Amino acid sequence: MSLPLILIIIVAVVAFYVMGVYNSLVSLRTRIQASIQEIGNQLKRQAELIPNLETSAKAYLSHEKDILKMLSEARKMKDPSAKIAELLPKLQVVVESNPELKGADVITRLMDELRDTSDKVMYSRRLLIDITADYNIKLVTFPTSVVANTFGFKSEKGLEMPENSDFLKVTEQEIKTPKVNL
Amino acid sequence: MINVYESVDSNKRKSWIIIAGFVIFVLVASVLIAKGLAAYYGYQSSGFELTGLALIISGVMSFISYYASDSIILGISGARPADKRRDYLFFTVAENLSLAAGLPIPKLYVIEDTAMNAFATGRDPAHASVCATTGLLAKLNRTELEGVIGHELSHVANYDTRLMSVVTILVGLITLLGDWLIRSTFWGRGSRDNDSKDGNAIFLAIGLIMAILSPIIAQIIQLAISRRREFLADASSVKLTRQPSGLISALKKMGIDKEPLEAANKATAHLYIVNPLKNRHDAVGWFSGLFNTHPPLSDRIKVLEQMS
Repeated sequence: MSLPLILIIIVAVVAFYVMGVYNSLVSLRTRIQASIQEIGNQLKRQAELIPNLETSAKAYLSHEKDILKMLSEARKMKDPSAKIAELLPKLQVVVESNPELKGADVITRLMDELRDTSDKVMYSRRLLIDITADYNIKLVTFPTSVVANTFGFKSEKGLEMPENSDFLKVTEQEIKTPKVNL
Repeated sequence: MINVYESVDSNKRKSWIIIAGFVIFVLVASVLIAKGLAAYYGYQSSGFELTGLALIISGVMSFISYYASDSIILGISGARPADKRRDYLFFTVAENLSLAAGLPIPKLYVIEDTAMNAFATGRDPAHASVCATTGLLAKLNRTELEGVIGHELSHVANYDTRLMSVVTILVGLITLLGDWLIRSTFWGRGSRDNDSKDGNAIFLAIGLIMAILSPIIAQIIQLAISRRREFLADASSVKLTRQPSGLISALKKMGIDKEPLEAANKATAHLYIVNPLKNRHDAVGWFSGLFNTHPPLSDRIKVLEQMS
């Protein structure tokens, strides 16, 4: 093989490499922008979903609450028969339209939806954090850093956090394990 | 204590080293066997022509199974498509983790089987399917299921189906070549001047030895790659969920569950998150470990515990 041919091959290989790195950096930068939009998308879904879920769960629970309230009032009375006579038709209606009281199911569904929603927001942030890290690593590691510097790529911030604020410190109060009171 | 990023990187590095070793081994072995074949029939050959022919045949055979892998496997396993109402946890967990991994949501399927298992297949992320058994969905909580689905989605993101298909093509190549040589020395008449050239006799001997040994060696390396990709998928799952505890407790539950999965067979075993053929763990020790598609659960749990 002659020398010019070898040179041409080397130049072609280097050119293809630079092109590949440049394209991967540009597409990563675009994906970072897209993932920021995705976080907004998930937040919007959450903002629309949660109030609606709350209203429908409340509406569902309210008629059960009335029945339970009346039952407990009846228990407190010395002669509950009058109250029960008043309550019975209502109970029948409930039993006919709805064979069992399903308040627990409604709450479980609501909690499932709430967890899923906050997971979706959390995971959309994770995507941003991960691809920002991938991008920033390419900017500082050799040999991709050479291409990045040549074309003036700047590092991306990812998820923005205040760098010197309270969350970096642990207070006396936070050392203790929280107790749950129900 | 291993950082999850380092763990993913080191698993990737190790698996590429094994793959490079595998490719070199296949090349050397197939050229040697092909030279043996040429020597047997008494003509001079670099060995590359026959290797090329075997590669084409093995490639065509595997390509069909690769391209249609998802439909073939889902057909075998008897799966039904998952539905958001019925399989709420499975559906939403898969949705969320695809979001985190930056993948399109794969097609989701459920196998009606009380054994606990899951697998992923499909040639690339756009054509991927993830499948779980009803036993798995019933016995795991959300955190545990996230660990398992994270593992399956990592197989998708790492193109493991594609990788294992290429590896299968190469194992098929060696097996075909070896088969040709052994069959022709067994049944054939050979060339007219068999003993006249010492060089040919040596090539024939080397070729025969390779023809017998290399399919076994190639399979052992194939299984080593499969096990390495399992470790990689475990580490990538933790990179997505950041909760090693979920995957650890899911693996422990699956380890206790002794029921074999009826829909699985030897051909599809390497796809599952845990080996579905549980009753075949009779032989113990290092040697039987060579022939496992999955690393032992205790090793996987140990590695995951170092990450938490």
